[in-house]
Amino acid sequence: MKNNENKVALVTGGAKGIGRAVVERFREEGMTVLACGRSARPADLDKAIDWHCVDVANLEAVEALRDAIKKKYDQLDVLVNNAGIQIEKTVLDSTDEDWDLLMGVNAKGVFYCCRSFMPLMIANGGGSIINIGSISARAADPEMALYNASKAFVHGLTRSIAVDHGKQGIRCNAICPGWILTGLADAAFELASDPVAAKKDALARHYIGRFGQPRDVANMALWLASDDASYATGQMFTVDGGLTAASPVNPGLF
Amino acid sequence: MSNNQLEGKIALITGGRGGIGRGICERFSTEGATVYAADLAKGEGEMPSRVQYESLDVTSESNVHSLMAKIESEQGKLDIVVNTAAIEIEKTIEDTSLQEWNNIFSINVTGTFLVSKYAIPLLRKADGGSIVNFGSYDGFIADPGLSAYCATKGAIHALTKAMACDYGPEGIRVNAICPGYIDTPMLQSFFGESGDIESLKEEVRNIHPIRRYGTPKDIAGLVAWLSGSEAGYATGQLWVLDGGLSAQAQQMRL
Ligand SMILES: NC(=O)c1ccc[n+]([C@@H]2O[C@H](COP(=O)([O-])OP(=O)(O)OC[C@H]3O[C@@H](n4cnc5c(N)ncnc54)[C@H](O)[C@@H]3O)[C@@H](O)[C@H]2O)c1
Repeated sequence: MKNNENKVALVTGGAKGIGRAVVERFREEGMTVLACGRSARPADLDKAIDWHCVDVANLEAVEALRDAIKKKYDQLDVLVNNAGIQIEKTVLDSTDEDWDLLMGVNAKGVFYCCRSFMPLMIANGGGSIINIGSISARAADPEMALYNASKAFVHGLTRSIAVDHGKQGIRCNAICPGWILTGLADAAFELASDPVAAKKDALARHYIGRFGQPRDVANMALWLASDDASYATGQMFTVDGGLTAASPVNPGLF
Repeated sequence: MSNNQLEGKIALITGGRGGIGRGICERFSTEGATVYAADLAKGEGEMPSRVQYESLDVTSESNVHSLMAKIESEQGKLDIVVNTAAIEIEKTIEDTSLQEWNNIFSINVTGTFLVSKYAIPLLRKADGGSIVNFGSYDGFIADPGLSAYCATKGAIHALTKAMACDYGPEGIRVNAICPGYIDTPMLQSFFGESGDIESLKEEVRNIHPIRRYGTPKDIAGLVAWLSGSEAGYATGQLWVLDGGLSAQAQQMRL
């Protein structure tokens, strides 16, 4: 058992949104936090965060990061596979390039990171892998075919790692966020024919009375990273304000 | 599908004069089965050929007992049981009295238990019997203000699997159908003040991937298949029939 202050964590896709919230939450708990992303270090990132410019779809870059972590810390306790992209297309509209791009990050990237970083975790007695899955892996978002499928891959891989590497001290879980209000969601409401009505309707579907914030996901990630969650593995945990507990056919909203 | 699939079969359908029950009786009649349509009241309308009305309160052990005795003396066996009898109450748990709670459980759950319990000896006399219970989409996710109903349907899901385990060795199959929104008097009552199905059609078209409500006929088709020999290996399953609704994530209405 290890206190959070003694843990080293890596968060992929840590520049903004959910990833950034996880980075900050972990840091508040005193963890040593590494973050990576495709872009250069965000200007407003806490100086204490060890930033690396890494595309998770690029195996060489991922392995170089692994070598760097091994050299500098010789330890990794928590891996958060958060980096992900989405392409809004049906199967018929999706090109080979779309496949390579999306699966490269959402599927292959998660696989690369798990395969590259797990030995370091195992060498130190184990660790917690937290994948960001999605409620869209269970029920499809229209015109998001490859995205939905990539998240189902993440759920399947999560269970496999939990099953295959549990005996080596690895716990692996996924978090399925509902609608988390980032800049993107607000932009979507602006595009609606009636933005006020659209927002009101969306809010009514969240039985907790508000939209999700990146920090809601980060709080779950922190629990999964901590030893309080030492019996939790192989599961998909949904944090969505009640959205998926209810039917979308709600006559009260018509 | 070819007609007369159920030629020579004896079937008991509880709630046989309800919306879905009537659809099943009609289909079974065209498939050549001899049908006992059991319900609290005969209600309006003609009975299809080879369909015989029986007065039955599924909560009454003596009622159930005497109906089985009658079927035994008339037919000597029973091939198919379909448990559709149920009620719905539109209330939160705070507004639900203990009496209402016990009442809905006694119809939806105890009724299925009693009818199945006393049908088993007759099903044993048939060559591979089938029980089809009625669960619901609501047994997985909730409609607001329908708590006791949702709970009874979750109980039916679990009961279905348990019965399948216990009677599988004797060749008796047990399945449940979990309908989504089916155009019947029960659904009309759920929509209540919000309007009728006609006026809500547009909304519904937008929510269901198949762009329409289900009909009793849709459900009857699955009941017929599950009750026939083509489904000889199908048991212990929850068959969701909902026009794709649960395959789709909730959508923002932009
Ligand atoms: N209509 C839907 O959208 C929908 C959705 C999900 C599940 N279901 C399920 O399908 C089944 C049939 O529903 P429906 O829409 O036809 O409803 P319905 O109200 O039209 O029919 C139910 C029938 O059950 C009978 N019944 C009630 N109490 C009884 C008792 N004590 N003894 C005997 N019979 C009794 C009623 O008289 C009625 O004829 C139910 O189990 C229901 O929960 C319906």
